[in-house]
Amino acid sequence: MRKYLMTLAGALGLTAGCVDQTVVSPENAPTTQALSGDLTAAGVQTLALGVLAQDRALVRGDLTYLGLTAIYARDAYRIDPNESRYVSETLGGQPDPGSFAGGGGWTNGFVTIRAANSLLAALPSALETQTSPAQKNVVAGLIQTMKALEYYRLLELRDTVGIPIQTQSVDSVPPLSCKANVMDYIASVLDSGLTALNAAGAATKLPFTPPSGFTAYGRDYRTAANLTLLNRGLKGKVDVYRGLQHQKPVASAFTAAITELTLALGGAAPGAVPAANFQKGAFVTFVAGGTEGAANPLSDSRIGVNPKAQAALQAGDTRASKIITRSTLAGQGLSTTFTYVGASTADPANQTRPIAILRDEELVLLRAQAYIETNQLTEATADLNSVRTSYGLTAYPVFADQASARTALLYEKRFSLFFEGPQRLVDLRAYGLLKAGITPAEVTGDPFNTAWPIPKAEADARGGKDKLTVSCS
Amino acid sequence: MKIRTGLFAVIALLTASSLQAQQRRLTGRVATVDGGAPLSNASVTIVGSTTGTYTNDQGQFSLSAPATTVTLRVRRIGYQQRNVVVPVGQNELLVTLVKDVLQLEAQVVTGTSTAVSSLNAANAVSTVSSEVLNRVTAPTIDNSLQGKIPGAMISSNSGAPGGGTQVQLRGVSTILGAYSPLYVVDGVIVNNSTINGGLNVITNASRGGNLGNMSSSQDQSVNRIADLNPNDIESIQVLKGPSASSIYGSKGTNGVIIITTKQGQVGKPVVDFTQRVGRATLANKLGSRCFGSATEYGAWANKNLGQNADTAGMEWTAATTKCHDYEDEFYSNDNLSYETVGSIRGGTQSGTNYFASGLVKHDNGLAPNDFYTKQALRLNLNQSFGSRFTVGANSEIIHSLTQRGISGNDNTGITPGDIFSQTPSFYDLQRKADGTFPVNGSGLLPGSNPFQNADLVKTPNNTYRFIGSITTNLSLYSSTSQTVDVKLTGGIDSYASKDRVVSPATGYTEAASFGANAGTLFNSDGAFLNANVNGAVVHRLVLPQFTAQTSAGFRQERREENTTQLTGRGVIFPSVTNIGNGAAQTFPGQTLGLARDFAVYAQEEFFTLSDRLLLTAGVNAEKSSSNGNQDKYYAYPKFSASYRVPYLPSFVDEFKARLAIGRAGNLPSAGRTTFLTNLLYEGATGTRASTIKGEPNIRPEQATEIEGGFDAAFLRQRARFSATFYKKQITDLLLQAPIVPSLGFTTQYLNGGQITNRGTELELDVTPWQRGSQSWVSGVTFFKQTGFVDFLPAGIAPFNPGVGSFGRYGNAWIQAGQSTSMIQASISCSSALPASGVCPAANRVLGKAGDANPDFNMGFSNQFQYGPVRLTSLVEWRKGGDVVNLTNNYYDGADLAADTALSHKRLAAYNASQAPYVEDAGFVKLREITLAYELPSRLTSSVFRGRAQSARLELSGRNLKTWTNYTGMDPEVSNFGSQPLGRFQDVTPYPPARTFFFSINTTF
Repeated sequence: MRKYLMTLAGALGLTAGCVDQTVVSPENAPTTQALSGDLTAAGVQTLALGVLAQDRALVRGDLTYLGLTAIYARDAYRIDPNESRYVSETLGGQPDPGSFAGGGGWTNGFVTIRAANSLLAALPSALETQTSPAQKNVVAGLIQTMKALEYYRLLELRDTVGIPIQTQSVDSVPPLSCKANVMDYIASVLDSGLTALNAAGAATKLPFTPPSGFTAYGRDYRTAANLTLLNRGLKGKVDVYRGLQHQKPVASAFTAAITELTLALGGAAPGAVPAANFQKGAFVTFVAGGTEGAANPLSDSRIGVNPKAQAALQAGDTRASKIITRSTLAGQGLSTTFTYVGASTADPANQTRPIAILRDEELVLLRAQAYIETNQLTEATADLNSVRTSYGLTAYPVFADQASARTALLYEKRFSLFFEGPQRLVDLRAYGLLKAGITPAEVTGDPFNTAWPIPKAEADARGGKDKLTVSCS
Repeated sequence: MKIRTGLFAVIALLTASSLQAQQRRLTGRVATVDGGAPLSNASVTIVGSTTGTYTNDQGQFSLSAPATTVTLRVRRIGYQQRNVVVPVGQNELLVTLVKDVLQLEAQVVTGTSTAVSSLNAANAVSTVSSEVLNRVTAPTIDNSLQGKIPGAMISSNSGAPGGGTQVQLRGVSTILGAYSPLYVVDGVIVNNSTINGGLNVITNASRGGNLGNMSSSQDQSVNRIADLNPNDIESIQVLKGPSASSIYGSKGTNGVIIITTKQGQVGKPVVDFTQRVGRATLANKLGSRCFGSATEYGAWANKNLGQNADTAGMEWTAATTKCHDYEDEFYSNDNLSYETVGSIRGGTQSGTNYFASGLVKHDNGLAPNDFYTKQALRLNLNQSFGSRFTVGANSEIIHSLTQRGISGNDNTGITPGDIFSQTPSFYDLQRKADGTFPVNGSGLLPGSNPFQNADLVKTPNNTYRFIGSITTNLSLYSSTSQTVDVKLTGGIDSYASKDRVVSPATGYTEAASFGANAGTLFNSDGAFLNANVNGAVVHRLVLPQFTAQTSAGFRQERREENTTQLTGRGVIFPSVTNIGNGAAQTFPGQTLGLARDFAVYAQEEFFTLSDRLLLTAGVNAEKSSSNGNQDKYYAYPKFSASYRVPYLPSFVDEFKARLAIGRAGNLPSAGRTTFLTNLLYEGATGTRASTIKGEPNIRPEQATEIEGGFDAAFLRQRARFSATFYKKQITDLLLQAPIVPSLGFTTQYLNGGQITNRGTELELDVTPWQRGSQSWVSGVTFFKQTGFVDFLPAGIAPFNPGVGSFGRYGNAWIQAGQSTSMIQASISCSSALPASGVCPAANRVLGKAGDANPDFNMGFSNQFQYGPVRLTSLVEWRKGGDVVNLTNNYYDGADLAADTALSHKRLAAYNASQAPYVEDAGFVKLREITLAYELPSRLTSSVFRGRAQSARLELSGRNLKTWTNYTGMDPEVSNFGSQPLGRFQDVTPYPPARTFFFSINTTF
């Protein structure tokens, strides 16, 4: 009974101060109109933090981004007698566009993009006595990069259903763009970010302290130089999938990706990135309890690891430590005795376990992927082995063909990036591996879902789902 | 040429007085018809002219009149007016007046500076006199109005001391906009906000999390009109809808309650003193299950706590097997309540009159340590400077301190009602001999003990308030046929409201809820200001053929609020009250508001056909900083007509038909802009646009009302009947609609849709018996209203207006074609029930389960006077209207309801998705009863040594008895406090109280 009130209470009408009865308009409360005036340095800082905090809201939200993608990718289960939809709308059936997962991971992303667009529009009017032109550029570089990241996250969840590209107008509704166009757009936003970072000058620093995820994980992203590494790393990642996407593959994308990823890795040659660098990168960090109340949602006793994932581990792979045993978690036709090490609620540190935005290990694997797709198998093998051998496994000989290289790549990516986001789901989709006959069914009637639909709220506000058309011109 | 003619006409009018014929001096006396007591302050005017005067202390008057036959009109508040023909040659006269027992001739407001006699009024304006208002002392002024005004639904949100009452006039006039009537005290618009007091920091009613939301609409707070002292009030007039309230423009849709305080009167000082002493007792309770055997308890513990049935049974036997009546034990605060009221009233012949009053009031709550205290001082002064200029100043200073305890919804197991519903009744929770409190042994709770919480947890609200106004009246021009007056009123209402919550770490619930961070402090400081200035010019032209009253003026207002809130946790020492000493503090919250309005208005009132026909037309144009377009004037016109039929059957004294049409508005409280929202990232503040998009063109809701009816007095004014029918249509509703989420917003403000309310209001007052000092006056009011959503704007699907998303149990639901007060709940199961009896979540069918709006409301008042003894009573009957009784679900879920069989039946119906918690909440309540005895003057004289003029003893009671089929404690309850919609949630509320008072009133 208490639970029902907890649940219900979340949806109750809340009023912060008082219930107006003689109608006092909060006209001197802060509004977006403030953004059209002179922006102070503190304003730049809070608006930038607003973008980063809202990105974290997408990453955390409803377990969609971190949890459901792992379930779709057959790495995870979440079995909960009080919430059957973690199975019935993932491995057991289609997601309902009106609620739960089908409606999730959408609005938060576009709110982040709105926040980024608002700040980008306001930045030119920042007071130069407080924020120098170079500082404005480094902030613009960060925010453009975050905006591109947000579109990429939306694509990770929605794949080919169509994503609108938001404009500065808060009134005109943009059409849904196809995946290929969105990827092209993301690439252009990243390039704008790079232009801004270049204009800032390598040594220029952000005029504020970002969250520790941008400073405390082996690399300090306050400088334009290091933000450039993040920007190019993300561009490389996007270019790998621009090459792999099926609508309008960009032939030159893999070559561009290799250049960008090499730049992001500090120019290191294939196989030459030291293992000590693998954990370096930019992260989303979490705070448990308190007013902020933003714990890592993977710290969840109802989460388990798909036994097939555990069985796929190669003997001697030290990444096996990411999977631990647990009491039997069963229901709805699924059962497991394994879980992700970060899901254990016994360790309070799991609530604040950071999630990488992008780290060097992923960059090395992405470069290997680009080498494979350009059939540069020696370089691909070198990069893959640098990762593989760091986890106690023997090195691969140079791959004889792309197919075997891809298989090896998918293994390394799966366990290097285990429970770190939708990377495996994206790879399975890209290589057409998430379908009946290739992937074993988890339960009877497994629909082999690969993405989430356009949420009902979006469809309804656009005139109904029958009116949704995706523009790909 | 035309201009010249016009000028000539004006000059002719202005000089009409000089053209008057010869004059004579009329002198006379005005007295009561029974006993001939002199009546002071009676108005004596010559019909067809502006000439008039007032009687002095001895009831005498003297005025200059034409030498021809004239008609004098003699009026005094509380008496029926008389027209007396004075023929040529008669220069002295005696006029006797009959008491206006049925209030046939009160002056009713028609504008901010104008009024007409209710004989002519074109609207059904209800007037409540001081005497009717204060027959039985009430916690707050809105309680005093319950059952007295047809068309006004007045409901107490809970039984906690200090108020918390909702007044709704003529149904629901908004969905998301402001919903309280406008309160105006002596020309000052006063604030009736409800400031959420922060109870949520310990109840967690609205959100989970260790340092979650600080305050919520579930804080069981008080609406601040409670501060007013009812004893100071001369009269209250209620403009129920836009046809009357259009003079208040964009704040008039919910009706206007105009309060006039007492003023001084020429004469020697009259001192009035009242002492009341009484107490409050528990009016109703729920009871709980009494386990009759170890086996019965063992089975319960096995099922509900997973305990071994035998072991649990042995524990039960080992404990005392007494069944405690927790409600009786807990709600038994028997300290005395008291109220002391004193006033002095008088005036000098030199033009000074005064009224000063003081109040000290202390009401005890039912639970230990709960109370409401109030102190108020008032001084009303008026000074005339010659015959043309008067200045008046009204001021009131109020302090109230309220400690309302803990009640309503919770998620921490701290509300007494929640604890009782989860505790098998054999546990003794009362304070032990050693002064400590037992830990609650029920396995369903974290050891919560309400007796301990009542001892440790403090939730005080301190409010300091000042309401003051200055009024000037300049008689710019006056002749026998014309007057021009200039009136200026300015005033402010300013208060500071301070809420605190202190919940020491030693509390069992506190420790269980917040662990290492136990020990909670909450501070909320709010400052509120309303300021307004009214100016008006009133021209009266009085000719034998007609009277024309033209008024025009302006009104300017400013409203401000600033509330800051802060919470600290982990305050280890109970005596520490500084939030800075907590281990953790919340990010401070602030609500800041400012609104400015400006209005101009003009009105023409035209009396003709011997004052039988009154035609009124007016328009009010208003702009506000709350609107999207801040410079745009919105027009609120009105038109009305009333006609007193001249030829009537002999038993009918008066018959008036009336019709009024008017429009009023409701300002948007937000929506003009998109706000910025704060987000935290590692404790640092981030900011982004809110997900609710502003609408730059947001405008006021518009309510247009047509009201018609008739008023009749018959049987030589022994009976009065009034009937009113209205239709109120509200368009341009203030709504929030879903928006394309990929724009980066979830909803947007907009105007659109339409609601139509219809209603009937009937009043019958009769004097079945009147002989000498014996009388019986009886009144019946009836009203019925309906409200429907005609349509919603395109793109807006039916929605819950945001109060209590208790979908499975029942919540408000807005849908085109449906009643605005519809209750939606899970009403059936779309599949066959499985063996478990529980309908799967996906198969629960939501639909209409009830309607919160009563079928009709009636009030029955009676006053019997037998010499010095007077008995008055007021009974209110509300037929129908549903409430969602979640409290029953608390008991049912724990299987601890008093009636186990009924409880199981309800729970089965709930599992089967059959909405068993939506209940008929109709009731009959004995609201007020008073027995008064006027001491014989000889006794008064000897007791008070000749100083007292009169003395009265009274025994009174409020809410003494309720007859209802509702299974909760009080059918008026609202867990979410005052709400436009969805106020019908019963969640472990503060139980209702019945109050008894003994009073002595003396006049010196």
